[in-house]
Amino acid sequence: MALDPAVVARLGTLELRARTIVEGFLSGLHRSPFKGFSVEFAEYRQYMPGDDLATIDWKVYARSDRHYVKKFEEETNLDCHVILDVSASMAYGSKGITKFAYAQALAASLGYLMNRQRDAIGLTAFDDRVVAALPASSRAGHLHAFLVTLEQLQIGKSTNVSKPLHRLASTLTKRGMVVLISDLLDDPGEVIRGLKHFQFRGMDVIVFHVLDQDEIVFPFERATRFEDLESGDEILAVPALARGDYLKAMRGLIDRYRRELGGAGIDYQLLSTNQPLELALLSYLSTRGRVL
Amino acid sequence: MTFLSPLYLIGAAAAAIPIVLHFLHRQPEVRVKFAAVRLLRQAPVEDTRKRRIREWLLLALRVAALVLIAAAFARPFFPSAHASQAVGATIVALDTSLSMSAPAQFEKAKQLAKDAIRRAPAGDLVGLLTFADTAQATSPPSADRAVALAAIDGAAAGFGGTRYRAALSAAGQMALAAGAANPTIVVVTDLQASGWDAGERVGVPEGARVETVDVGAPAANLAITNAEARGNQIVASVRNAGPARDVRVSLTIDGKHAADAVQPIDAGETRDVAIASSKGTEAVVSVDDPAGIQGDNARYVVLDNASQPAVLVVTTNGDLRRDAFYVQQALSASAASAGFRVEGVAGSALGTMDAQQLGAAEAVLLMSTRGVDAKSRALLSEYLEKGGGLFVAASADVDGDVLSDLVGGAMSESAVAAPAGRTERHLAPIDPRHPVLQPFSADVATLGLATFRQIATLAAKACDTIASFTTGEPAMLDCPVGDGRALVFASDLDNHDNDLPLKATFVPLLLESIRYVGAGHRRGTSFVIGETPPGVAPRPGFATLTTGRVARRVAVNVNPAELDTQRVSPDDFQAAVARLRDAGKADAQLKSSDAEGRQRIWQYLLAAAIAVLVAESVVSMRTA
Repeated sequence: MALDPAVVARLGTLELRARTIVEGFLSGLHRSPFKGFSVEFAEYRQYMPGDDLATIDWKVYARSDRHYVKKFEEETNLDCHVILDVSASMAYGSKGITKFAYAQALAASLGYLMNRQRDAIGLTAFDDRVVAALPASSRAGHLHAFLVTLEQLQIGKSTNVSKPLHRLASTLTKRGMVVLISDLLDDPGEVIRGLKHFQFRGMDVIVFHVLDQDEIVFPFERATRFEDLESGDEILAVPALARGDYLKAMRGLIDRYRRELGGAGIDYQLLSTNQPLELALLSYLSTRGRVL
Repeated sequence: MTFLSPLYLIGAAAAAIPIVLHFLHRQPEVRVKFAAVRLLRQAPVEDTRKRRIREWLLLALRVAALVLIAAAFARPFFPSAHASQAVGATIVALDTSLSMSAPAQFEKAKQLAKDAIRRAPAGDLVGLLTFADTAQATSPPSADRAVALAAIDGAAAGFGGTRYRAALSAAGQMALAAGAANPTIVVVTDLQASGWDAGERVGVPEGARVETVDVGAPAANLAITNAEARGNQIVASVRNAGPARDVRVSLTIDGKHAADAVQPIDAGETRDVAIASSKGTEAVVSVDDPAGIQGDNARYVVLDNASQPAVLVVTTNGDLRRDAFYVQQALSASAASAGFRVEGVAGSALGTMDAQQLGAAEAVLLMSTRGVDAKSRALLSEYLEKGGGLFVAASADVDGDVLSDLVGGAMSESAVAAPAGRTERHLAPIDPRHPVLQPFSADVATLGLATFRQIATLAAKACDTIASFTTGEPAMLDCPVGDGRALVFASDLDNHDNDLPLKATFVPLLLESIRYVGAGHRRGTSFVIGETPPGVAPRPGFATLTTGRVARRVAVNVNPAELDTQRVSPDDFQAAVARLRDAGKADAQLKSSDAEGRQRIWQYLLAAAIAVLVAESVVSMRTA
């Protein structure tokens, strides 16, 4: 059963949230997400009581009459970079959860899931600049660092999606996967160009477009003064009069992202903050399966 | 600017509603921190200042619409300059009725009237009218008080009855004609109770003040209130409004003293005194009362019964006992006092009469048209054209065609039974002021006691419906025909189709109807002052009345009602004066209504209100 994002948001730590989401998600999957995992042989060492008998290399025993066990080094499948938008516009929320909180939980869940899959996880948070960066790694304890970094993030200032994207794209050398979590309330052309930069660098990209339900349906009734979360600009609008044009503009924005990103081979997933996060995880796994 | 219906201006108070709502429901501005403001920029947005202006504009438009609608309903108009120039006026109404004619009584009244003139506020116009049965403007309102004082000196008491209604109405009209806004009407009178008819209310101008100046009760008076011949006797009713005394009543016949009778009468008592009569034509019964009112000391009686006119009752056989029992009983009982004889005639015999014979009849009561031939119809039509009176009881014996011929219009008549499932059909006056129905005005409900089982449907364009049935059909039509008059009653009078003859209202209704239709052809021998026909002087005595080619002697007496010395208090008098001030109000209302009707400002206001409401709708949509 899918968990309500607002309920999940009330759970204690981000790690707990992530684990609750992912474990619940995985238990519901019929197909193991661990298929395709690979490990590399590292060394032999002498058998010690308590070692798994299955790891004893019986051929070596036949040759040397000693018990050796195979020591494998876990191989990282992918470098996964989570790029999280922490600009001020992400602070909007109408149903008990902000877009930022939703994006945080989504990033944490993805990190947790990636870690479970032995993928290296990295994190880049940005507003109009990069505010936090954690290189991709699959080391033990990296998940904790990932989650702590994620938890310590604060809402920033105005958005400039393309600039951090270009900057991150130019630093990544290893093939991997980029996950952008943002409300994408920026110049669509610039955003799409930034994402294509990753593609150009051989990265697979998945975009989670996080919007609040109010931003999608514009349910306001009374004449309202709308204050821009980033610029502070104010607009007094009569919803009855403005609704039509607003929804048209919003649909236009979403359609453009869906059309142009889809055309470029970039996965695009629109998420409303009232939708369960499992939807995003499923989308991620689908993309990952295609990459591997 | 003034208003025809100013009460509607109260509705303008509703303008406070949007104002109060505006301030009560003034909600703090809704502010939302929003992420996608950038997308809203492409939608129509509002400027804060413009919105505030729009809100105030909206409020102003709503208030204006309500005020305009209220003002339109109040029907404003600009009064003429003439109407706004009102002056004060004092109108003195001096009672000159018989009861004021006692020696010293009228002199006192004149002195009080002069005092009232002198007492009038400086600058007031002053006018004088004298009144009895009618009112005469003796001195129209003017600033010269000497004119009014001189008019009082020239006034004299007469033989008429007291009619306060006539006095107050005339005084109101005088004040209105002079343009007086709040006149004072001073009534100088002996406050005789009979001056107010039962249930009568009078209208005086709005704002008029009515004062009474009491002349006081008349001194001890002896009056003959009635005298009539009964067989070989003359019976006189003598009222003693003074100390107990022996009253000598004298009878004079044709100018010669015939007999005397002495009767002791206690104070305040009325006694009938019978005196043996002798042959003659004109009898005068008199008492000697030099200190009291002189006009009531004698009563005049015409003794020649043969000269009494007849009421012809046309039935199928002419036998009233058989064909018109109730009518015969009712008319015979009152014939003596009413001054006419009752004769029955068969419809078939009507044609044997000549015009002169029929012309001698005071009225014709047509209860059947059986046997009434073309000649009879022509005779009746001629009789009506020359001022005769016809009362038709439209029973099953009366033919609609004959009726149409007689009343000269399209009269349809057909019997109609009571509606199915409904047996009660009663009489209901439409015009209670009609002379036939006026005597019932104090208790109209008595007319509704009779139940009508079957009626005739009547319709004639030339006739007025003065009474109808409770089921809606006309019950009594008043039709003028030439110089005469016809009344058509939509049922019978012989207890066949209704029980009217069994009711107490039957006799007075029948008599009033006969009197009414016979008024133009009146043949009575006795009249009271105030009801004398043209050609007969309104003073007690004998006179010659000529109708057509026939001349006859008639007696004229003072109205017995005027001899009633009962008085009302000034408070009761004031209570009788209607505060509604209908007369003045109606007149002023009429003028105002004319002015308002010409200017039609309400239409412009209503159009403006509609325009404002349209504007309000447009602004409201943009401000939601």
